[in-house]
Amino acid sequence: MTKKLNLAVASLVLVFLGTGCVSRGNDPGWEYAPDMYYSKGYEPYNQGDSFTLNPHGMSMRTPVEGTVAVGKSDFHYSLPNTGEGYEAAATQVVTPAGIDQIDTRGKYMYEIYCSPCHGASGNNDGGVFKKVSTLKPAWKGYTDDYIKNLPEGQIYHVLTYGKNNMGSHASVLKPVDRWRVVKYVKLLSQGGNSNAVASNASTMDSTAVAK
Amino acid sequence: MNISRIKMWALAIGFTIASPILSQAQPNADEGKKLYEANNCGSCHALDKKVVGPALRGVHERRSEEWLVQWIRNNKKFRESGDADAIAIYNEYGGAAMNIFENLTPAQVLDIVEYIKTAPAPAAPKTDAPVGPAEPQADPSTKYILLILVVIFGIVLMVLGRVKNTLRRVAAEKDPSEGEFLGDNRKWYLKMLPSKLANMNPTVLAIFITLAVALPGAWYGYKFAITEVGVQKGYAPTQPIAFSHKLHAGELNIDCKYCHSTVEESKSASIPALNTCMNCHKGVQATEKYNGEISPEIKKIYAALDYDPQALPGKEYGNNPKPIRWVRIHNLPDHAYFNHSQHVVVGKLQCQSCHGPVEKMEVVQQWNTLQMGWCIDCHRNTGIDAANNNYYAALHDKAAKDLKKNQNNSQYFGPDGKVKITPAMNGGLECAKCHY
Repeated sequence: MTKKLNLAVASLVLVFLGTGCVSRGNDPGWEYAPDMYYSKGYEPYNQGDSFTLNPHGMSMRTPVEGTVAVGKSDFHYSLPNTGEGYEAAATQVVTPAGIDQIDTRGKYMYEIYCSPCHGASGNNDGGVFKKVSTLKPAWKGYTDDYIKNLPEGQIYHVLTYGKNNMGSHASVLKPVDRWRVVKYVKLLSQGGNSNAVASNASTMDSTAVAK
Repeated sequence: MNISRIKMWALAIGFTIASPILSQAQPNADEGKKLYEANNCGSCHALDKKVVGPALRGVHERRSEEWLVQWIRNNKKFRESGDADAIAIYNEYGGAAMNIFENLTPAQVLDIVEYIKTAPAPAAPKTDAPVGPAEPQADPSTKYILLILVVIFGIVLMVLGRVKNTLRRVAAEKDPSEGEFLGDNRKWYLKMLPSKLANMNPTVLAIFITLAVALPGAWYGYKFAITEVGVQKGYAPTQPIAFSHKLHAGELNIDCKYCHSTVEESKSASIPALNTCMNCHKGVQATEKYNGEISPEIKKIYAALDYDPQALPGKEYGNNPKPIRWVRIHNLPDHAYFNHSQHVVVGKLQCQSCHGPVEKMEVVQQWNTLQMGWCIDCHRNTGIDAANNNYYAALHDKAAKDLKKNQNNSQYFGPDGKVKITPAMNGGLECAKCHY
């Protein structure tokens, strides 16, 4: 009897040991040579107490205030995030040269960054607005006169700083992409069909728009 | 006298005619509620808390009706007319101008004010709901305590068994009649075996049993070592904020790239900045699920940003933000290079092809092994969209031409009989592509 128990207990212990090393839940499982798996050098988005020189031990640092990285001069935007800044954007902020046409990149970026709330054709019927209707703005959709008559500079200003319930999209959209989105929003506000640019979407060359 | 009597009659008739009109002009709260909703007032205002604009309850006590009508219909014109109160509130809210509602008639504005006046006060928080601390969650360490207990009990049982045998042996030495109980483990285990095996030569049997146990054991150990050790498939750690991809990517249908925005630009797909969370969660606080309180998970975002939702615009963010320490799930060793932008932009891969159905995961887990064999399989079998790639056109054409001469290389041809260009043919199996 004792021996049968012994056998049973031993096999139970083996099963426990075996399952203990498989990764699941909070347990990453057994590792061989963890110093090869986990980089000693800084990886993007790492955070560790050993990075004593960086704020909060993050591997990334914010640029020194007042500096502009090479090739990022278009990130500079001088208008302040105030009512006056918004008013001034109507006349002072103009579409830069080279972004005078609606291209597929604008539609593509719109569908990633705008359509979750504003819907694929700008009717304020995206998934988020459907679920949380209190987020909806006072205007009904892009074809509303309010958006139709909104100067492009102000749309750019809102993308950069946000307005009311909408937050700033400056950290996810590069300035050049913000302008492409502005152009696409204007197309939708004039009742433009998204198919107008969809026809040549397949020829989108992602290397051509990288800037 | 006559004239005044006529005047009186005229007044009386006038009142009779006007009275229904006057009574209609009484502000109507139901009408106001409809207008409040139709014009999405709620996107910037709530009755009892500051949202984008100020809380509205009691606004009729703070301002005159005339003031409200002018402000709501066209606050810009009103401010420009030099009204001190209008300019003051505009500046207090950091110059965030209210929209213009000239589509509303003054009577309609008063309907809305009437609705605000009569709107029921919020229900007091339910006191009968369990307010105490949440159910204690299963601590992961309990599993280990159980395991340790099982091991300890096992050892205790074995020791007790030994003690018992020793006692029996001692007893047998004193009393030979106890001899049949003499603890002989070998005999007992042999009895467990089928009779044919039990009658075998003990040496042969020993070798046989050793092989029968050792070979599967070795096979299991080998399989374990190559498929489990250092392979974190299924790893699903608890994150500091219980963010649900199932809700955000699945139900709300938000594109993966909305948050992981650098995936097309960079080696890393990026952990979104809290700024991205605030694009929605400035307004979304899920209070309806938490008895009027802000959701505890959303509160963590606010705490990390040192953000006070009730502070005035411009003063919402404090000076003590702390980044959130998300737990890394997918980890490639230092000596293997992987670039997201390369695979998503040029390779046109869907996120799900490596990360699995994340839009259905409440807690994200590592879906694939991320082992080298897994990379290589994909590089061997996935076709490249060679037709739309001008940069490699010459190379692809040459490959297609050269391979036609050698029909033995059937693995390079797709089911349509045409050459299938794979990453492997483009040098995707070179060691130094990933290890350098």
